[in-house]
Amino acid sequence: MKILVFVKQVLDSEAKINIQDDKKSLDFEERFSLNFFDEFAIEEAIRVKEKVKNCEVVAVSLGSRKAQEVLRTSIAMGVDRAVLIETEKYNIWDPYFTAKVLSGFAEKEGFNLIFCGERAMDDENGVVGVLIAENLKIPYVGSVVKIEVMDTNKVVVDSEIDGSFFGYEVELPALFSLRKGINEPRVPAITGVMKAMRAQIAFVDPYSLLSIPLTQKTEIVRFEFPGKRPAVKIIEGQSPEEKVKKLISLLKQEAKVI
Amino acid sequence: MAKDVLVYIELKDRSVRKVSYEAIEAGKRLRKFFSSKLHVAIIGFQVEILAEYVKGHADYVHVVDEEYLTDFTIDNYAEILHMLVEKTSSSFVIGSHAGYGRFILPKLSGMLDWAILADVTGFELENGRLLFKKPLFGGRVLSYVEVKEGNKVVTTLRPNSFSVSEPSLSGEVIREKIETKKDKKIRFLRAERKEEKKVDLQEADFIICGGRGMKAPENFKILEEIADIMGGRVGASRSVVDANWREYEEQIGKSGKTVSPVLYIGCGVSGAIHHTMGIDTSKTIVAINSDPNAPIFNIADYGIVDDIFAILPVLKEELKKAKEEV
Ligand SMILES: Cc1cc2nc3c(=O)[nH]c(=O)nc-3n(C[C@H](O)[C@H](O)[C@H](O)COP(=O)(O)OP(=O)(O)OC[C@H]3O[C@@H](n4cnc5c(N)ncnc54)[C@H](O)[C@@H]3O)c2cc1C
Ligand SMILES: Nc1ncnc2c1ncn2[C@@H]1O[C@H](COP(=O)(O)O)[C@@H](O)[C@H]1O
Repeated sequence: MKILVFVKQVLDSEAKINIQDDKKSLDFEERFSLNFFDEFAIEEAIRVKEKVKNCEVVAVSLGSRKAQEVLRTSIAMGVDRAVLIETEKYNIWDPYFTAKVLSGFAEKEGFNLIFCGERAMDDENGVVGVLIAENLKIPYVGSVVKIEVMDTNKVVVDSEIDGSFFGYEVELPALFSLRKGINEPRVPAITGVMKAMRAQIAFVDPYSLLSIPLTQKTEIVRFEFPGKRPAVKIIEGQSPEEKVKKLISLLKQEAKVI
Repeated sequence: MAKDVLVYIELKDRSVRKVSYEAIEAGKRLRKFFSSKLHVAIIGFQVEILAEYVKGHADYVHVVDEEYLTDFTIDNYAEILHMLVEKTSSSFVIGSHAGYGRFILPKLSGMLDWAILADVTGFELENGRLLFKKPLFGGRVLSYVEVKEGNKVVTTLRPNSFSVSEPSLSGEVIREKIETKKDKKIRFLRAERKEEKKVDLQEADFIICGGRGMKAPENFKILEEIADIMGGRVGASRSVVDANWREYEEQIGKSGKTVSPVLYIGCGVSGAIHHTMGIDTSKTIVAINSDPNAPIFNIADYGIVDDIFAILPVLKEELKKAKEEV
């Protein structure tokens, strides 16, 4: 059994962001982390590996050289091997294009199972997983909260949409996007960290993975910062009653929201 | 060439969700811009009657009403939409980024080999160009995205991003007979549907969110009562969800849901950036916190610095009065 886990390195929430003069590109403070939802994908793959015999788990990322860091984290957690599909810099790519490249990799590499995170924290699209499945013509279930591997041909999964749960039996190979709550991602052990430091990460050129030349289907014309919200009005008063009454009247007359 | 628009109608308990009217509104704008036709698709079982609610907003209402659709799979819905896109020769497909559309529409874009733009909050016409507005990095940056020449696009909209207008059309209702492929590699086993009449968190106009300052799960009862009075929903911070006081489904923020209500009230929520990323497109933000230095006051419009347990009972009574007045 071979499991691919697609992991993305994303900008930290607190990192400073600047828009460059041409408005078309961004500058960041170089603070990155492994995409939160992808930790569930790594953990789930390792758990499957711990259960079934002869299982290899490969972590794959499309990103800049810096994205090696998230691949090392994956190895520290227990992934066998890591591959970086190297791009020039961290960029918000067209999900269509990202998915084509990652599908190209999966096709070349071969696999029985693919795990993705539910969404990437930077673009919040939640679409790359299903696009890869569609490119590869394999079944897909999103927002998966439980996976049971029956054998090398079949899994049973539960997914959640808006509080409703759906159970499916799925033929492998297949791709699943995992939701928070499916497992508790492990903290790497020190031996894992040592192994990760020494591990060789393979580099691949994204264009070598496309069977036909492709470009992005969308283009960012400009970036803008959202308008700043006005400063807060702290509501003063002698008693809770007085404060709440003032608040309600502001919500009615000024904000006009009730 | 006419650029027709197809809107996927999101349903809940066999009624049309508010997010669907918002998607229709977006569709109407494109219809006007391209002088094209607006198609809407209602897909499900025993849903034909719903055409009445939307036909005033469309040129054509395509109804696919089949018993096999009781068993939900993304594949069936995407396959049906695919056929409708071909039949109507549409160039745009619009749906919601909440509910089922978030799963079905990206799949459809893959089947069509079209561009996809997800979680869009608006569009602008600029010198004849159509630009989609999409927040990135939890709303810290806005991007304006153009679909490249000749490309068609599937797009999902963030709830509460488009205001809804009065019906102005009289659409023709077309009953479609569509069978999907049977040789599925995904077999439906079971559904455990949440039966509740409440509005979903992401489309609620009113959200009262509890943080760790609420101290214990039982204290959320008063938040429930306030949400019911206002016809809204209770939200939760991650700390509260991780402590198992509330369900993950209610979590707001970077690793939970992004919401855009008309009014958000944070109760005992500190306002860490991971949380505020999920609320920054809300219209009005109110924060109640005993700590005057809590970061939530940096994003709030109105703030009360006080003990939440002193404020909540009064807030409940006053909101009730305010509701009764109108
Ligand atoms: C990768 C990542 C993703 C994350 N995703 C999310 C997310 O999606 N959503 C999210 O919410 N968080 C998220 N977090 C966590 C976030 O950073 C904060 O830890 C969390 O939001 C804090 O929750 P809180 O405000 O309820 O609790 P606290 O930070 O503990 O704040 C409690 C507040 O209550 C106030 N308080 C206490 N008692 C009272 C009282 N009696 N009356 C009034 N006020 C009182 C305190 O002054 C304090 O401000 C994420 C973190 C990481 C690292
Ligand atoms: N550049 C990337 N490299 C590796 N995996 C990715 C990349 N972009 C997206 N993914 C995977 O697809 C999921 C959904 O991403 P998105 O559609 O961008 O929200 C992520 O959680 C990852 O598992």
